Amino acid sequence: MSNQYQIAVLGGGPGGYVAAIRAGQLGFKTVLIDKDNLGGICLNWGCIPTKSLLKNAEIYDNIKNHSADFGIKVQGLDFDFTRIIKRSRDIAERMAKNVEILVKKNKVDRIRGFGKFISSNELEILDNNGNKINSISADKIIIATGARPKVLPSIPVDKKFIITSSEAMVLHEVPKEMIIIGAGAIGIEFAYFYSVLGSKVTIVEMMDTILPIEDKEVSETLAKSFKKRGIEIFTKTSVEKAIVNGNKVLVTINSNGKRKELSADKVLNAIGVTGNVEGFGLEELGVELFKNHIKVNKSTYETNIKGIYAIGDVIGPPWLAHVASQEGIHCVEKIKGITVQDIDYTSIPGCTFCQPQVASVGLTEDKAKESGYEIKVGKFPFMASGKAFAIGEREGFIKIIFDAKYGEILGVHIIGSEATEMIAEAGLAKSLEATGESIIKTVHAHPTLAEAFMEAAAQAYGEAIHI
Amino acid sequence: MEIVMPKMGESVSEGTILKWHKKIGEAVKRDEIIFEISTDKVDTEIPSPVEGILSEIRFNEGDTVDVGTVVAIIDSNGEIKKDSSEQKPEVVHQPAVEENKIEESSKHEDKTQSILSNEKIESTRPSANISDSIDLQMPKMGESVMEGTIIKWYKKVGEQVKKDETIFEISTDKVDTEVPSPADGILSEILVAEQETVEVGTVVAKLTTAAKTTQISEPKPEVKKVQQKETKAEKTKKELPSSMHENFSSVKATSLEEEEVGNSSLNKNKSTSKFLSPLVLNIARKENVSFEEIEKIKGTGLEGRVTKKDILNYIEQRNNTKSESGETNIRETQQQIFDETKQEVLSSPSVTPSKVQAVYSSSEVERIPMDIVRQKIMQHMVNSRDTSVHVSAMLEVDMTRIYNFLKANRDEIQRKQGIKLTYMPFVSHACIKALKEFPLVNATIDGTTIVKKKFINLGIAVAMEPNGLIVPNIKNADEKNIVGLARSINELAEKARTKRLTPDDITNGTFTITNYGVFGTIFGTPIINQPEVAILGVGTVVKKPVVVEIEGTDTIAIKPTMALTLSHDHRLVDGMLGGRFLKSIKDTLESFSINEM
Repeated sequence: MSNQYQIAVLGGGPGGYVAAIRAGQLGFKTVLIDKDNLGGICLNWGCIPTKSLLKNAEIYDNIKNHSADFGIKVQGLDFDFTRIIKRSRDIAERMAKNVEILVKKNKVDRIRGFGKFISSNELEILDNNGNKINSISADKIIIATGARPKVLPSIPVDKKFIITSSEAMVLHEVPKEMIIIGAGAIGIEFAYFYSVLGSKVTIVEMMDTILPIEDKEVSETLAKSFKKRGIEIFTKTSVEKAIVNGNKVLVTINSNGKRKELSADKVLNAIGVTGNVEGFGLEELGVELFKNHIKVNKSTYETNIKGIYAIGDVIGPPWLAHVASQEGIHCVEKIKGITVQDIDYTSIPGCTFCQPQVASVGLTEDKAKESGYEIKVGKFPFMASGKAFAIGEREGFIKIIFDAKYGEILGVHIIGSEATEMIAEAGLAKSLEATGESIIKTVHAHPTLAEAFMEAAAQAYGEAIHI
Repeated sequence: MEIVMPKMGESVSEGTILKWHKKIGEAVKRDEIIFEISTDKVDTEIPSPVEGILSEIRFNEGDTVDVGTVVAIIDSNGEIKKDSSEQKPEVVHQPAVEENKIEESSKHEDKTQSILSNEKIESTRPSANISDSIDLQMPKMGESVMEGTIIKWYKKVGEQVKKDETIFEISTDKVDTEVPSPADGILSEILVAEQETVEVGTVVAKLTTAAKTTQISEPKPEVKKVQQKETKAEKTKKELPSSMHENFSSVKATSLEEEEVGNSSLNKNKSTSKFLSPLVLNIARKENVSFEEIEKIKGTGLEGRVTKKDILNYIEQRNNTKSESGETNIRETQQQIFDETKQEVLSSPSVTPSKVQAVYSSSEVERIPMDIVRQKIMQHMVNSRDTSVHVSAMLEVDMTRIYNFLKANRDEIQRKQGIKLTYMPFVSHACIKALKEFPLVNATIDGTTIVKKKFINLGIAVAMEPNGLIVPNIKNADEKNIVGLARSINELAEKARTKRLTPDDITNGTFTITNYGVFGTIFGTPIINQPEVAILGVGTVVKKPVVVEIEGTDTIAIKPTMALTLSHDHRLVDGMLGGRFLKSIKDTLESFSINEM
């Protein structure tokens, strides 16, 4: 194996491995460096294993709470938590292996180790103990080192009582009480999961609503649904401190000056993530950073140092696997000299896989107004959908925000069953610059939940049939 | 159309009217908010389902009414309009017949249509692909002639060929002859080179006939398109006029295409070079960006598509360079119409700047890019000059009778008829009479054919502030009396000033009068409004000392006098005809009697 490459990719997550594969496809001599299994957080400790867990919860939830509606009799319903966790781990492992195969198939060399910059086109590879095992040189180096859970001193993570998402997906037993700090997608998904399995869950969020980046109406609907499940929610509330005391964690929260003490078996720190920018030589090279992330040109993904690129979570929000992958592809294609349209960061879907699911693309109603748009809003509740009725999923709605002037789709917000699948249509419609009229005139199969998308558009124009 | 309190949800049975956004008698566009309601579930604004006039409001603000109750009535201007709103998304989805109906009866929708039809231009192109190809063979020139030699190709590959136009010349042992085209189309392939000899019956070339478009008088769109592609060198030279031409002619031509291509505009666009997203089309419609303009926008989207950003940038630029935005549409349409008639628009000299350009520093001069309207006026004027052989004839008219009549009756007429009479309706009236008498002046030239119009649509040139002009015309002007003409003139001028002219107002004129007298000008030599063959210039009425013979004695008298100029196209209107025509107008005006009113 020659140690000279055209492209070296540092980090094998959904940004890195995708970039490497694309580079391989385009004929670059490419190397992919990661000390762990390929797939990164997403595949090993994020998206995929949690979706596995959530499916368990969903099935259990349905049987437990809705079997009677469907005329199904259940006795002695129980679950095996160890099996639930094992299923999730098995899936992650299988997927990671598949990625190794994909990478190999595309003639990308794979180095297992920790890559560290020696110069702007040289990397040394260290083993787990920090010993140098190899070194390579590459014309272009793409940093895709991702991000990790952000930790605050006031909430000292010990990975035992005060945990992050990684620990939360491999607990040995369902905690009786769990406090989740941060009501973003990660916090919300674990809240649903553990609440269904019997934990008494409390969510603490600093912002006005849970899922604060989503449309207010969606967040409020979800909050209502969660409260019905018995999840306690504190919004506009900060955490002053979390202290482990015996087998409990004591959490002091502050809501508008009013202090309160909570306690739980586990506290999940889900306040956000921070870029992995330390310890591999960026500072020495002078790669420009901002707020713990690498600063890049968001068209070429090149950093301030020529030949060094960065993609994915390490370059900052929106911290989504699908964005990382797309950035990886773009970065490599631009290096190749292919003319590609820049990523439209206004058309990126975001999903939260609790039940009811939440998915959105584009601007919220508030953001659209703030941006100065005169808007037209169409909304269709699943309550009015025959399919939703038939499958017993009548919660939620689809809401579309249009620019009143030109009919542009500014944002689509879905809460309800299969919301995360349905958002794809909205993303396509938005990025291809469809208008309300085009959605209304697109024939949607009946009976599907997706019909609600068409009806929501029609509602904006006063043409909805079923409401 | 009845507007009812909408049902806002399953359990909502009534709603409160919060606010009426429209008053009775006010015009309402489709989707424009008419009123706002509040229910126990939600507050919402109710848009109009149709375009029309809000003719009745049945409940006041604050009233709570049951769902389904009629709260207002919108008069949607007759059936056709209703159709169009029911068929919803846009006119483009309507069958051709329907569309024609609308074109005729609701002209004010034309603006939308002309842009909509841009979408259809795209749609016409695929038909070129499905069009027929005709093999051109070496013809048999006699019983014993077995072969022929191609002497010369008159057409190049990609060039447009009319039926019966000579395509190539052959030589046989018996005879040399020119071979005409069997059909309209495009010469798509030449298989035998000049000086080559082939057997009779050998295919020497292929002709692509745009099967559908040939039925229409103007098969241009496809043709021009191909031309532009094939002969890139000529592209720049021809681009502007031809694409304008293409744009307009397809407005007419596409309705036939519609059924053929089907209703999905997406499909239509897909198979063409330019996909325009629904949003881009919407923006184009709303901002009056013509397809021709879109064609010129550099797309930055996928596969070079023009994106929302591109078109918005373009509009911003356009607005910046334009002295006055908003009035372009009409004027542009007019230009398109001018250009439509000019089939043989070649590269216009004025487009190439003069070689002798003095160099100034930026402090000495201000360099202003011409807006599109100015550019088109420029082209049109040059085209007219290059097309018609302009000759101007002038004479003076004694306006005493009309002067006196106006002096005596103007105020009363204004009081009674609500119209302020000027000299223009009198001149128009006299002119119409002369046009009837000399219909050749009311004609156009089509190749070597004279097209005599049996109707008189009298164009009136209207200056537009701050700079520009437009020529709306009075349809069937010969059916109007002087007061009727006065009304029509006022109406058109008013519409021009308020930018409410429709494409219909400015198309299909047959003769134009331009009244430069309003600026105090005495004499002028106007440029003919193509494709007409003459234009009458009207000077200001001035009191002049003239020599009159009273009882055998020459005396100097003071007469209100007006000079008329007839610029006529000498290709068709000779001095005699022009002179007689002018004389006829003069006689009518000078012999004016109150009975003509």
